[in-house]
Amino acid sequence: MSANSWLATGNFFTTYKQEQRTFLTSLDRSFFTLFLVILFGWPLLFELGNKNMLVIDNILIAIVAVMGLNLVTGFAGLISIGHAAFVGIGAYTVASFCRTMGDSHIIITHFWPVLIVVSGLVGAVFGAIVGLPALRLKHLYLAIATLSFQMIFEWTIQFMTFFNQGQTIYVGRVFWFTGKVGRKDHYLFWYFIILTIVILLGFGIRNLLKTRYGRSLVAVRDNDRAADAMGMNPGLTKVYAFALAGFFAGVAGALHAYVYRGVGFESFTLHESIGYLAMAIVGGLGTLNGSFWGPVAIKFLDLQVETLAEIAGKYLPSSMNLATALKPFTFGLVIVLFLMFEPRGIANWWRITKSYTKLWPFRY
Amino acid sequence: MKSKNFLTALLILVVMFAFTSSVYAGGKVYKLGMSLAITGPTSDAGNPYAKGTEDYFKFVNETKILGDDTIECTIRDDQYKTDVTKRNFEEYLDDGIVMYLNYSTGSTLGLKRDFEEEQIAVLPASYHAGNLDDSNYIFLPIASYSDQLVILAEYVAKNHKGGKAKVALFVHPSAFGRGPVSDVEKAVVAGLNIELVEVVEHGKDLDNTAMLKRLMSKKVQYVISQTVQSPVATMIKDSQRLGLTASSFGEAGKITFLGAHYTGGNDLIALAGTAAENYFWTTGFNITSVPGEKTTKQLALAKLFGRDEKAANSHNYAAGIMVAQVATEAIRRAKAAGLEVNKANLYKMLNGMNGANAYSPYTTSGPVTYSKTDRMGVDLLQIYSVQGGVFKAVGEALESEYMKKIK
Repeated sequence: MSANSWLATGNFFTTYKQEQRTFLTSLDRSFFTLFLVILFGWPLLFELGNKNMLVIDNILIAIVAVMGLNLVTGFAGLISIGHAAFVGIGAYTVASFCRTMGDSHIIITHFWPVLIVVSGLVGAVFGAIVGLPALRLKHLYLAIATLSFQMIFEWTIQFMTFFNQGQTIYVGRVFWFTGKVGRKDHYLFWYFIILTIVILLGFGIRNLLKTRYGRSLVAVRDNDRAADAMGMNPGLTKVYAFALAGFFAGVAGALHAYVYRGVGFESFTLHESIGYLAMAIVGGLGTLNGSFWGPVAIKFLDLQVETLAEIAGKYLPSSMNLATALKPFTFGLVIVLFLMFEPRGIANWWRITKSYTKLWPFRY
Repeated sequence: MKSKNFLTALLILVVMFAFTSSVYAGGKVYKLGMSLAITGPTSDAGNPYAKGTEDYFKFVNETKILGDDTIECTIRDDQYKTDVTKRNFEEYLDDGIVMYLNYSTGSTLGLKRDFEEEQIAVLPASYHAGNLDDSNYIFLPIASYSDQLVILAEYVAKNHKGGKAKVALFVHPSAFGRGPVSDVEKAVVAGLNIELVEVVEHGKDLDNTAMLKRLMSKKVQYVISQTVQSPVATMIKDSQRLGLTASSFGEAGKITFLGAHYTGGNDLIALAGTAAENYFWTTGFNITSVPGEKTTKQLALAKLFGRDEKAANSHNYAAGIMVAQVATEAIRRAKAAGLEVNKANLYKMLNGMNGANAYSPYTTSGPVTYSKTDRMGVDLLQIYSVQGGVFKAVGEALESEYMKKIK
């Protein structure tokens, strides 16, 4: 093996630590660094407009939420169909501060990074509580338990006056070192913030999966009795998987509250939970990069189908309301097609692409 | 020499092109945006509403109401989702709109802060009184749901025979439904002669037998609804099946059903059939089953753009036309005053629509009046009731007395 890593013709590991590296080659690290530079740099070169920035922010928030769902469902194998409720917990944590202190209180406008972390922690607590049935329940029964949490969440928000009975609770504009983040820069500012959070959490998951705690998630998913026999604690693992997912969802919820500058019930319904699950499936369950592909694919599909339904709505007979059916139909069809023909999701296409490109330039 | 001639010819062509293109593009284009539910929940109302707006703006451009200037109103579907509405609104702002037309209560409340920051006048399809709280830029096209419910309660109080009328409210489980309840309660406290027995928040029930029996046991004689048509249709069909529906207003021992804007119209008759007979409904719009010069214009517009009978006769089609009419009138007045057509001047024009300057479109039961302190357009509400399978006007259009007292 060449001493110069740039001239290496294969991935040779001489120590266990080397095998645990985040980037296997210098080329990988360089490509990733370049990719990050592009991600952070392009908004400074091209102006996309608020609408498009909002779409991108929305995708990034979904990525944070789906990373959490992927941990609990993809890596730990525990079905959760109440993920939007956990996202809602995060959003309503911010909203609760706004209700009690006023939406322009310094804690909301200046200490928003702390509030985002607090929302994540509240999400984690709720996640752990909802995860308790996982000690006794499996498969469909566990799914029903998470569904009931979704129902309880929706009912509570819609009927409690403290939560404005589901109507929008406003969130004030935040401050940065340069002063108040105004309307013009709002979505761009949050793009950089959410992107940073996505990268940090992404590395967090990647590193977690290299530890015994991360490996135990996969071990419990594959066979919890065998994991138990190997000295792991399947019960605790399941609860902490839910807590981790709750943390990610809580952070996503807080980000949603800040980006939309308000919290309303309809962003956290069962329909949204199904949407997150679809993103995880389409992206690729049990893969980190699937958490990125899924939200991008589903959100873009949503946009395209919206346009199609809008055009169809003008021509199809309104009495039958056929255009309304287009979106759920397309959404359902995509999930079914992926489950049938590509159950490993888009992440598998990425894996195949990578394996092809590995042949060049003579890395083996 | 040849090249010099060629350059001269080219220069002449460029000058000619620049001149002709400037003549051709003489008219200004005023951009507006509308976001509403063309698909998804409430699209039965949103669909004709969008058609009404679209048709009227086409009519304005084709008949040159604004001279060579034209209105370009982009209409986008939001599927009744606030997140999507927000996205559409941001897109319109990127495009440089001068006025915005919105739809649902949820999204109007949700985007209220944005409207304030952008200082843009907004005409929603939601008549929720709460839209006006802490807001300067939302203009309700007609009297609020609160006004509508209170005026129906006043009608009950005036026309009920024998003692105090026992009334129940049947409302949608949202701000849209709940909003007016407190105003009805305030009106009762202020002296409105009815007894509010129960407020029912409906779910997605397919059978209301238990609820109707319970209301009967409490001797409720009037049910006033603030929701959409389908739950009302379910309720009045159940009432007919149980033999509980009053055959005339206030029939003793039976229930008379009444409702606000989104509970009625031809869609209710289509859904409930004969059970809709004797249903009392209030709105600020003229309806085509009460023929007249004004509704003829609505039908002519629908015919001009090839709309089907259902859309042409929908009160939501009229509501869609109405917001387009108000927006057009504001632009026309700004132009007539020699002002630039922008957000600030359109806001100014809307606030000036009062007194002798009130605007009377053919779609409404009264004039549209706005000022800095009154952002509720048509104050007069018309009560209709179903007679012989169609809605007929009941008396003259009215303004609520008790809403003035409790404001």
